[in-house]
Amino acid sequence: MAADEHVSMIPAASKVGWSAEVNGRGFGDEIESGAILLDVLRDQVGTLGVKRGCDMGTCGCCTVIIDGVARLSCLTLAGEAEGCEITTVEGLATGHHLAPIQEMFSECGGSQCGFCTPGFLLTSAALLAKNDSPSDSEVKSAIDGNLCRCTGYQQIVESIQAAAEILRSDAKSKDGTAAQMDPHPGLGAGDAGE
Amino acid sequence: MGDEQMKGYRQQPGKLPFKKPGSGGGKPFSELRDLDFIPESLDGRLAQPHGENRHDYLLTGSSIGRRTPMIDDRWKVTGQAKYGDDIRLSGELIGRILRSPHHYAKIRAIDTSVAEALPGVEYVLCGQGHKTLFGVLPVTKDEHALAVEKVRHVGDLVAAVAAVDEATALEALRLIKVDYEVLEPVHDMRKAIDDSEHPIHDRGKYHIGESNVQKRVFQEFGNISAMKDSLATSAAKWKFAGVNHGFTEPHAVVAHWDPSGRLTLYTPQQVPHYLHRALADVLDVPMHQINVYRTFVGGGFGGKSDPFPHEMCAAIMARETGKPVRITFDREEVFWTNRGRHPSLLEMVLHADQQGRISGIETDALIDGGAFASFGHVTTYYNGVLHTAPYEIGAFHYTGARVWTNKPASGAMRGHGAVNSRCAVESGIDDLCDRLQVDPITFRLANLLPPHSTTITGFRVTSIGMRECLERVRDASGWVEKFRKMPLGRGIGIGCGFFISGSGLPIHWDPNKFPHATVHLKVDMDGGVVVHTGAAEIGQGSDTVVAQSVAEVLGLPIEMIRIKSRETDTSPVDLGSYSSRVTFMNANAAISAAMVIRADLLAAAAEITAADEKMLVIGDRRIYVKRDPAVGVSYLEALHKALEDRGALVSSGSYRTPPMGKSHKGAAAGLAPAYSFSAYVAEVEVDMETGQSKVIEVWAAHDCGRALNPLAVEGQIIGSCHMGLGQVLSEEMVYGRTGHLRNANLLEYKIPTVHEMPKVTPIIVESNDPEGPFGAKEAGEGPLLPILPAVVNAIYDASGIRVNELPVTPDRLFRSIEKKIKAEEVDNALQLPNPNLQYSDLQNVVEARALDHGKRDDERQLDVEREPYHNGALFGLDPAIAPEEQTTDWVISLTPDEDYLADPRLAGSAWKHTERRHMGGEN
Repeated sequence: MAADEHVSMIPAASKVGWSAEVNGRGFGDEIESGAILLDVLRDQVGTLGVKRGCDMGTCGCCTVIIDGVARLSCLTLAGEAEGCEITTVEGLATGHHLAPIQEMFSECGGSQCGFCTPGFLLTSAALLAKNDSPSDSEVKSAIDGNLCRCTGYQQIVESIQAAAEILRSDAKSKDGTAAQMDPHPGLGAGDAGE
Repeated sequence: MGDEQMKGYRQQPGKLPFKKPGSGGGKPFSELRDLDFIPESLDGRLAQPHGENRHDYLLTGSSIGRRTPMIDDRWKVTGQAKYGDDIRLSGELIGRILRSPHHYAKIRAIDTSVAEALPGVEYVLCGQGHKTLFGVLPVTKDEHALAVEKVRHVGDLVAAVAAVDEATALEALRLIKVDYEVLEPVHDMRKAIDDSEHPIHDRGKYHIGESNVQKRVFQEFGNISAMKDSLATSAAKWKFAGVNHGFTEPHAVVAHWDPSGRLTLYTPQQVPHYLHRALADVLDVPMHQINVYRTFVGGGFGGKSDPFPHEMCAAIMARETGKPVRITFDREEVFWTNRGRHPSLLEMVLHADQQGRISGIETDALIDGGAFASFGHVTTYYNGVLHTAPYEIGAFHYTGARVWTNKPASGAMRGHGAVNSRCAVESGIDDLCDRLQVDPITFRLANLLPPHSTTITGFRVTSIGMRECLERVRDASGWVEKFRKMPLGRGIGIGCGFFISGSGLPIHWDPNKFPHATVHLKVDMDGGVVVHTGAAEIGQGSDTVVAQSVAEVLGLPIEMIRIKSRETDTSPVDLGSYSSRVTFMNANAAISAAMVIRADLLAAAAEITAADEKMLVIGDRRIYVKRDPAVGVSYLEALHKALEDRGALVSSGSYRTPPMGKSHKGAAAGLAPAYSFSAYVAEVEVDMETGQSKVIEVWAAHDCGRALNPLAVEGQIIGSCHMGLGQVLSEEMVYGRTGHLRNANLLEYKIPTVHEMPKVTPIIVESNDPEGPFGAKEAGEGPLLPILPAVVNAIYDASGIRVNELPVTPDRLFRSIEKKIKAEEVDNALQLPNPNLQYSDLQNVVEARALDHGKRDDERQLDVEREPYHNGALFGLDPAIAPEEQTTDWVISLTPDEDYLADPRLAGSAWKHTERRHMGGEN
């Protein structure tokens, strides 16, 4: 190939149909055939809670749950998740009720700047769904693919254990929905979303 | 809040966690106030071992000191928080940046015609049209929106494209043809001191010779000659690798010019105000036409505190196209942008005299600034002046230089400028103690400055909790049983630190004496309090601490406080989140603002109840007579009375540091209204056969004055440990032989994962600062300092290896172990001698003095009539006479003499050049 010959890197248009159940809701659209799941979720589905931190599977911020398994959406082709059930951080709460893991991350200081938080929440939600009484080392093994630069992890591990405790106590009680809390008690204090 | 406050996750939807605002609080009738939160001096039961605070009378027990989750946490845990790249405006264009492939080159020409012709490309921007210089410090503006004549490091910004989508933008970058003339780069900071044919920048008449020296500092304080006559000397040459902040959110910006011709720039910034100024300069529009909107910030740590070129590019391209432009970095670009901690070469010499006093510290610091100045002016000072406390020293000699090299720019990073030299100093003290055979904690306790004293460089130090920090980590860690008593391969070490609580001199100081922080409050008939502040919430909890302060003064639950801190349009000017200033300055300003509202409410309550205003107190949403709670009104009643004829109550409060410090050049660097102190003990395990070190446990005591939110303070302490452990054990920006950055990604740049984190026991020490908000000082940066030396000293205790290069990776430590095996002539690492401690006679001397000074400090803390105390009293100076007025051998010198220049240290050799203006240059 001649040195000055320019080859365009813009992918040829090859749209394919894609559908999945994202946070309990069917989604269907045309996507690029080689699209990365992270891009589809952020740019097309609109679940901006899926964070892009490194694009190469090193930070864990883009973690989502695909059919019950926590996976890095930046290393997943959208095609692989075709027809799957995908849970992002937006899908953890039930209506106004926060999941215990969300509640405890707030209460125990598991979230500071909050950018890595969605990834941690989904990784630990996937863990707790399988094992509601993990040991500290099981928790650590589960979240070792997620980087947090603010908390030093200690309060994250505490948050996960606190959530596990709630899940355990709840498993014994009859009313499963009681484990969740109103996300908007009283008057919202932050102006965050304006 | 009252007993019936609903707690925990079983909260029912739609219910408030407290009774209706203004209803009179959680209880139907007021009761005598809970004495547990009333200070002793006001007849309560709250212990005040360190004396009174000027805000004591404002305590209502509503918020201060409670473990308070961040008030914006729910936005984060639900994924609703919008960070830089989450701002999506309709019709947006995607901006991407062409970066230099060369370390150093002249740009001869840029051909953008092919790129512009690509369908979907809306604008291609080059540097030529935008030559306005900017930079975070007004004295060292040396950055452009895009490179104008030269590129100065690989990754420097050359051109920018705005296109309909990312693929088109990236393709357009490939179509831009740049003609470079490659220049000889400088990578070695030692060579950058020399004259160069093409200095990386030209500072005109202020340029130092023809070199790449950006800033140089020479300081001599104290009895310089006496320090040479010492009982023990510790000298070490250190090498610190550069480290990156490693925040999880890459930089991102969205620029949008609205139809009325105003720019809104959405960006995760720590210091929106400085960006605001720089944008006005570069875009040549007045500041009032620009609204800087701070999005959620996904970690800052100093790395998002410069005004950045890409922010300028987005704003320019948005103006040219009339469409919103979004630029998001990938992780590699984050490393090219850097502004992390300076790689540095440090020489540290410490002297101890016959009585076990620190008779002198000599420091020489050469720091590698990379391609731009950034905060470097300040960093150069901080490398020296920020280790002149907490110890009383006989003399201080500092030479520092910051050089430009063809690397990504270094800048401010958590513990700005203080971290590396603190590590060297604390390790040096450990070495001194080893030579003197005294216990390093006792040695430190015997050499502390007393509270309310002045350091050798003239910093006014108020509260000091250093002694308590040392004593508490000693007890918590089992120091006495462990130090020098554990088997080879296991060790324990101590490190200390102190840090500024806000910079005494703002970066942009104006003759008008603007305050450092201003906070506005608005209370309308609904009873909620709206707080307008420009303090940048970057995840550290600044919104929360400001809300807490207001809630405390007005006796309201924190849910009734709403913080508006995002936009420069609506917030008063605030200098931003850097130099650990937010809690100290913003909370102080918020308290002042709340005091105005409080006075309005008390006056209204007095009018309704006919009680004497002075007898009224604020409880949980009630205002009542202190000794007769039955006489009172609800908050809402008082508010509505106060609103009569005037509508919403508004107030403004501000904070400005008191006049302090000396007048010599550079005297303001390191000056702060208060200083935090900390002492950490780390226990490590070293595998002597592989050189692998692992930190087992850390006991971390930090004096934050008063923990307004202990949950956040502990989070900061543990988080600081994490970041410091990264620097000491694994993190390093690795530059190859040809100067290229080899690990610009999070796979090879080793941030500790959860497995590397030891158990950290945070210990909060409260020294009650007289000027802090409710006594508080900083807790964000100081906690990072002691972890490095604590680990390094523990590694010595474990292995007998005195580390002097960071990070202490296994290969480095293994090489040192191998060397020692040869030197000691033993067969293998397991036969190496274990460091031991046989107390010398000096131990009794330092023990006695530590005890003595403990009493001295306690008395001094509580004595309001105290005499002045200047560093040097331990060395025979009259503590009441300032060092510059001493007639003895005490010196203050800021320029080297010929004797020094005959044989300067490394950074000191920067003084061999003459500044151009002193040579009568044309500029």
